[in-house]
Amino acid sequence: MLMVGTLMHAKHLSRSPFEIAISLVVPVVQAVLAVYLFRSGGEQDRLLQAAVGAGLMGVWSSVLFGSGGAIQNQRWQGTLEMIMMAPRRPVVVILPLTIATGITGTYSLLATLIWGRVLFGIRLDFAHPYAFPVAAAVCIVALGMFGLLLASTFVLMRNANALANVLEYPVWLVSGMLVPLTVLPTWTGPIAAALPTTWGARALHEATTGGPVWPSVAMCLAISGLCLALGAAALTVVERRARVTATLALA
Amino acid sequence: MSGLRLVTVGGMIAYRALFNWTRPALFVGTLFIGPLFQLLFFAYLGRQLRVGDDQFFLVGNAVLTASLACVFGGTMAVANERRFGTLGHVLLSPRSRTAIFWGRVLPYAGNGLLISVFTLTVASLMLGLRIPPAALPGLALAMAAGSLACGFFGLTLGALGLRFRDVFVISNVAVAVLLLLTGVNVPPGDLPQWMVTVGQGLPITHAAEAARMLAAGRGLDAAAPMIGRELLVGAVYAIVAAVLLKFFEAESRRRASLDTL
Repeated sequence: MLMVGTLMHAKHLSRSPFEIAISLVVPVVQAVLAVYLFRSGGEQDRLLQAAVGAGLMGVWSSVLFGSGGAIQNQRWQGTLEMIMMAPRRPVVVILPLTIATGITGTYSLLATLIWGRVLFGIRLDFAHPYAFPVAAAVCIVALGMFGLLLASTFVLMRNANALANVLEYPVWLVSGMLVPLTVLPTWTGPIAAALPTTWGARALHEATTGGPVWPSVAMCLAISGLCLALGAAALTVVERRARVTATLALA
Repeated sequence: MSGLRLVTVGGMIAYRALFNWTRPALFVGTLFIGPLFQLLFFAYLGRQLRVGDDQFFLVGNAVLTASLACVFGGTMAVANERRFGTLGHVLLSPRSRTAIFWGRVLPYAGNGLLISVFTLTVASLMLGLRIPPAALPGLALAMAAGSLACGFFGLTLGALGLRFRDVFVISNVAVAVLLLLTGVNVPPGDLPQWMVTVGQGLPITHAAEAARMLAAGRGLDAAAPMIGRELLVGAVYAIVAAVLLKFFEAESRRRASLDTL
């Protein structure tokens, strides 16, 4: 059911011109910005890292707005009640939705890498070429699980997209997707360590430039597994609450 | 007087009606916290890459943060009418639609100015940037010019909403493009010439430069030409928006495609 659901939602999202345009164009613009900034700072040897970072930012945006928008879209389409009435646990129904947003987010990563290669001649010399796709796949699934935790809170909010607007830049910043964590204030360290996005970004950067990829991948999976458990529990509580107060469609 | 009332009161009513936030927390989060983190993101990235000092990133990005409210606001001023099914009522009005839609930009521009002032104040306190008090009136003027130009830019994009189905794709891309081409984050000298040229025709570019001059203590006399250019850019977008709105209105009446989604 997870596989079929994920595939269906990924196909559904892939038919949306809005999703595709945003997944392809905006990350490419951000990648161009990152490349010029890195060049301007005399960091020509880190252009691949900049492209990967910009692509990852696109994946996070896709998951963030996708998770918020997924619930909202179901609400607008009038299908949220049907999803919640399905004789399955809510997590099994919603998780494919959020993982699908991560999968469509891979368009961003691919677009920034291809664009970087074609336009700026960035050589795709990954330090760990076999670990990179594995790290990317883990990162996407992990972000999907994190998206479930977000989605479970978004069910109760009418303006979930507004909350998503708030979370985009902070997570880009504290996860070290483009800005190294070393330049941030030390108090951001524990927050960064608790986010799967941090470990996912670290795994991808290590696969790109060298470093121990697998410990980061393992941490990413562990934290996202925790997010899955929390998200599943929260979704059950939220669903019951919405049924009791009869606010599923109105919340 | 009646026209002025249409522009100001009409704009305020539309702002309140179209603004889609129901709780202050969401308003504050989206329009204050989000842009503040955008500014911090580029400030820390700039610090790490040593592309410019804090003043370069903080002042430039503070002016740019207005773009979120102004570009999307200007777009929503037209596009949401269509989405909510009220566009026909607006276009049936016997009053000047140009005045109606220009009036709608003003509250969003005011909102953008508020965001710019807020983000610059908070970010300066957080990162320890000192701005000479004498520069503050000029800075407010530069930010106001940037917000107004950005609002009319948003209205121009919104006008496309009379013709294209999903204009928010264009708005999202436009906001990203402003990050790149306005010279707020990458010094113009490090961008290709064609990008600099395109940037000269976009809102924020001149306002950000003026704000940087003022923050560096160069005085309003030095920054005034830049503010003038920003206002000129805004005026051009206001005219383009008016022409497009008129053209697409006539087209949509002719093709009976006003409410086609």
